[in-house]
Amino acid sequence: MTDPFRVPLIIRGQIIDDAEVDYGGRRGGVSFSAPDIAKHVARLPLRTPSAMADLYALSFDEILDFLVALGQRLDFGQNRHLQEAFRLSCQTSGLSESILRVHFQYIGAAFDRTEMRRMMERSCGIDYLEGWVDQGAGRFPGLTARTRAFGARTVHVIAGNAPIVSILTVIRNALTRSDAIIKLPSNDPLTAAALVRTMLEMDPDHPLSKHVSVAYWKGGDDQVESAIYDPRGVEKIVAWGGFDSVKHITRYLQPGIDLITQDPKLSGTIIGREAFADDATLGQVARRLALDIGAQNQEGCVSARVIYVECGTDDVGLERANRLGQMTFDALQRLPDHLSTPHKAFDGALKAEIDGIRLNDEDYRIFGGRTNEGAVIVSQEEYPVDFSRTLACRVGNIVPIDSRETAVSAVNAYTQTIGIFPESLKDELRDRLAFQGAQRIVSLGGAATMQHNMERQDAIEPVRRMLKWVTEEQASGEMLAALAG
Amino acid sequence: MSSYLDRLIADPTSFHDAPYAQAFTLSCEEIDRLHLDGARKRFAELRPGLSVLDKLAREQGIDAIETIDDLAPLLFPHTVYKSYPISYLERSRFDKLTKWLAGLTTSDISHVDASGIETIDDWIDLLDAETDLTVQHTSGTTGKLSFVPRTKKQWRETIVHSGVIIRDWWPDRGPDIVKDGMPIIIPGYRYGAAAMQRGNGIQVDLYAKGEENTLFLYPDARFSADIASLGGRLRAAEARGEAGMIDIPPVLLERREALLELERRRPDDLKHFFSEAQRRFGGRDVYVTAMWAILYDWAEEGLKRGLKNVFGKGSVLLTGGGKKGKELPDDWRERVIEFLGFDTIYEMYATSEQMGLSMMCEHGHYHVPPIQIPFLLDPATGKPLPRKDGLTGRYASFDLMPNTYWAGLVTGDEITLAGWEKPCACGRAGPYVIPPVRRYSEQEGGDDRIVCAGAPEAHDRALEFLAELSM
Repeated sequence: MTDPFRVPLIIRGQIIDDAEVDYGGRRGGVSFSAPDIAKHVARLPLRTPSAMADLYALSFDEILDFLVALGQRLDFGQNRHLQEAFRLSCQTSGLSESILRVHFQYIGAAFDRTEMRRMMERSCGIDYLEGWVDQGAGRFPGLTARTRAFGARTVHVIAGNAPIVSILTVIRNALTRSDAIIKLPSNDPLTAAALVRTMLEMDPDHPLSKHVSVAYWKGGDDQVESAIYDPRGVEKIVAWGGFDSVKHITRYLQPGIDLITQDPKLSGTIIGREAFADDATLGQVARRLALDIGAQNQEGCVSARVIYVECGTDDVGLERANRLGQMTFDALQRLPDHLSTPHKAFDGALKAEIDGIRLNDEDYRIFGGRTNEGAVIVSQEEYPVDFSRTLACRVGNIVPIDSRETAVSAVNAYTQTIGIFPESLKDELRDRLAFQGAQRIVSLGGAATMQHNMERQDAIEPVRRMLKWVTEEQASGEMLAALAG
Repeated sequence: MSSYLDRLIADPTSFHDAPYAQAFTLSCEEIDRLHLDGARKRFAELRPGLSVLDKLAREQGIDAIETIDDLAPLLFPHTVYKSYPISYLERSRFDKLTKWLAGLTTSDISHVDASGIETIDDWIDLLDAETDLTVQHTSGTTGKLSFVPRTKKQWRETIVHSGVIIRDWWPDRGPDIVKDGMPIIIPGYRYGAAAMQRGNGIQVDLYAKGEENTLFLYPDARFSADIASLGGRLRAAEARGEAGMIDIPPVLLERREALLELERRRPDDLKHFFSEAQRRFGGRDVYVTAMWAILYDWAEEGLKRGLKNVFGKGSVLLTGGGKKGKELPDDWRERVIEFLGFDTIYEMYATSEQMGLSMMCEHGHYHVPPIQIPFLLDPATGKPLPRKDGLTGRYASFDLMPNTYWAGLVTGDEITLAGWEKPCACGRAGPYVIPPVRRYSEQEGGDDRIVCAGAPEAHDRALEFLAELSM
């Protein structure tokens, strides 16, 4: 049915590609083979911390030089490793080929010098990466301190829903002078491997090439994981994705291991009554809402699912909500192919839910949802559908409300992005939404199309937390001796 | 033969007390005729009174059933019987829930005033008292209860039907339980409106011929729909790592003490159940019914207490449900039989929305009775596959027996069907399901819809949760 894909095991510059074990994929019935990790796992963690020293012979600018050069080699038209990763992703990803193609074409552009520098400046300060930074006066007269940010030996359990996760992991690992073991996801096992292979082709002996490993093992494999999640070789774990994968990892937590999680999140929308000012405004709101629901085929945690609309719940209000539903569905169907397409593997359970409530027109109006084209469900009371947490494959749920307070109180710690219209409503609500748990508040339409600072995703600072903030302190010998009496 | 068929065609409901073995002697042409005539009859009779069916028919553009495949687009997704918003329950809008249910049954329930009702249990009791319905709810293991509007008459027919199956399925082995009576042993709740409890009262009446001839694990307790609903939501939330987000309905908190009494008495109930089983029914021929997973728990508990071969050799077991969601050892069946002491087993594949049961034969196949119209649907397109042996697809079926609600459902199960071209080696004619029955997705509601093994667990889990709440 499909070509056999081989996933390599790469341990600090050494490529092992003997494809001894077969694995099934997540979607598309794809299988791939990879080396028997059990034979090599003992060498995966970096047991000698002093081996990190070679990274400190490089200046930040030299690291940038290397990454920029790597970006140039990640040309989708030329790079056969990326082409193979693309070919596999086309089968395993929830993104359609037309959308994935854009992702892969822009991989090289992610290695932009200015943006990489800005990112590190924002998240930790480059002076802290480059040397010991004086901390100024403290509470003890005569005591001074300098702090420097050091890289850590880190396992990254990455998500496979889009190649950006692999890209960010490689970039952040290099810029923080860390040592990464990247656990490849079964739904995108080749992108991170393609990046590392390209690094090795560029310069196999470069310290940055030698401080990144990639491996696939089946999540939850106790024999492998107990060998890897051991504080003698690993200081931090960065875990993306589902509750199950994080739950596995928590079994291995112990003093000496720091867990940084990028939990699964859901995002939503709040639209103020101003949207109904006139037809032109409503048309724009519908197009922008279609973007928040449909861009990236709603595969991201940033994608909108439940949309609160302050149109009222009386007959006039419901008519407005239903009209917005129809217009949004129409706009969803017209989104360009590079951003959104009908989902190639529409969720069967979700389809059964939609088919069930379609026959309940007292409580719901449904636009679309016949096959895989996506849908806009309009609740006819101010409650989301009962299956709101499983909305996917370009299905949004418009909930009419009388007061914006209903939307605010629906926000909680599981809410990531909220798209808002108009801007004045965003200004009015942003502090309160943050109190509730919201993590990113954007102009309607910007949820899944652009992002300013991914290093603050989920309102945490993973880049900052990937570093070890080491402090050196100094006091005069006489002063210290005097304390001894 | 033709009079048997003619009787079914004239009144499919009459199948409930018709000789069962004869059903599997009909030819494929006869079955086709029954299916087509029956489907036309039910569609014509039910459409005017069922607004939900009428809407689906309009959506699908179907006004008449020309061929049997025209019925396939009219089968309900299994979510229809839970298509009400859960906010109705949370806000105690049982008036609206009643109106929703009215669209799914031709029984007149318009006179019911449910506006003051606060709990699901009370709502069900109100409908019991004021209408000809005895609503059945599912276990809610996926977080939401389905409500099936079965009538009192249909429940009685269902229990009679099971009695006929017990008498006729295994030639010369089955007791005539309705005629002669038999003690009934049920390792579960006596009361409640879930599939497993709804028939209890009628079984006590028709099979046991009186309460004194019965043994229930919880003889006084009710399997509460409200607790099952909370249990289902808890389980769904725990699976997502969001258990902390669950709101406990205030009315359950008010009744917490009474509910916890049940929890506290559980060990005593269990002890009493085993001692009574031995004292009153040890060595006697009895009728036992429960899902496999529950039977296994019971058997293990009994074996631990040194109990073996508890009942008489002429006893019978009606069961089903596989070992869904439970880790059981390879010899689980043998363990159950070792404990019970008999091996006359009736194993079914069934859904709670339908009255007919597909029974397993000695070759491990589930035989679909002629009164049920089985379909295999292409999982991608939903289009019916041809009636050819050995094809695999999404199972859907229509039961001709219910005459007041639409008993056509698309399941979440992937199965293989045969028997259209070549009959089963057991000699029974007509279509049969070849296991395994595989769920397309754990999330797809399969658990919720099949008469289910997980049900009491979710219920118990909710009680534990209430017990753990610090008040």
